[in-house]
Amino acid sequence: MAEETLGFQYSTLQQERETVTLGMWAFLATEVLFFGALIAAYFSYRIWFGAEFIAAAKMTKVALGTANTAVLLTSSACMAMAVTSHEAGSRRAPVLWLIATALLGLSFVVIKGTEWFLEYQEHLVPALNFDLARHGGVAEIFFIFYFCATGLHALHLLIGICLVCWLAFAIGTGRLKPGSTTRLIGLYWHFVDIVWIFLFPLIYLAGRNG
Amino acid sequence: MSAGTICRCWLALLILLALTTGSAFIPLGTANLFVSLGIAVTKALIVLLFFMELKTSSALVRVFAAAGFFWLMIMIALTTADYTHRTDQRVPLDQVR
Repeated sequence: MAEETLGFQYSTLQQERETVTLGMWAFLATEVLFFGALIAAYFSYRIWFGAEFIAAAKMTKVALGTANTAVLLTSSACMAMAVTSHEAGSRRAPVLWLIATALLGLSFVVIKGTEWFLEYQEHLVPALNFDLARHGGVAEIFFIFYFCATGLHALHLLIGICLVCWLAFAIGTGRLKPGSTTRLIGLYWHFVDIVWIFLFPLIYLAGRNG
Repeated sequence: MSAGTICRCWLALLILLALTTGSAFIPLGTANLFVSLGIAVTKALIVLLFFMELKTSSALVRVFAAAGFFWLMIMIALTTADYTHRTDQRVPLDQVR
């Protein structure tokens, strides 16, 4: 920590740490509301359309969704290890943990893409090839929600993967000293994980026993 | 945050994931939704408190973190209260005319 350079506008490292953390949380609060609006829409559909909406949720791939959740939770643990090891002053360990995080993030996107491809084959993609006669209008509404929610989540994850790759590069080449940057990117990564923690039961687990 | 804590959190998250997926296949009626949401909240709290370090953060940071979720609760509570109390009654055409 002694090598850390202090921004000109701060008087102590502690003050800088508190300020940037607060700023990141202010941004994350807007993200909570951004994804929260989607989840509120889900609940209103679910209440309004009832059993038909839940039946549509049954067409999602629960095994792939569960595997993807495990992948993302593990990536968050790797990210936490990267932050901890970087703050302890290590240079090699955080780079390796960050590479693991990025690879797990990429596997999530690949599994997600596989699901989308399977859904395309089953004519479940609204606006592209949705089979209205076979699946019905309520199922189309479910899948519009599904593609908006998972698409926006995947976009956030791709941004996260880019940030993590940049971070690994910057730490590896010694351009980035231990400081707040790793923690801030960590906060973003964990937030994307939290969004998925809520999307997963709503999308994949609805109506599994009915 | 120690490596041991991270490891324990990761294990807890995976066990909770197994529980939530397993519980979805047990017929509990509407309780299924609340069980899965309860487990999701527990998982989110583990991530928030330990991975996102809210457990050791200052009160101000915690308030900022809670604010987003607090407003979200208001939005979801009012939206669902509205939709659960709507009725879909069809009125015969001659009464409308």
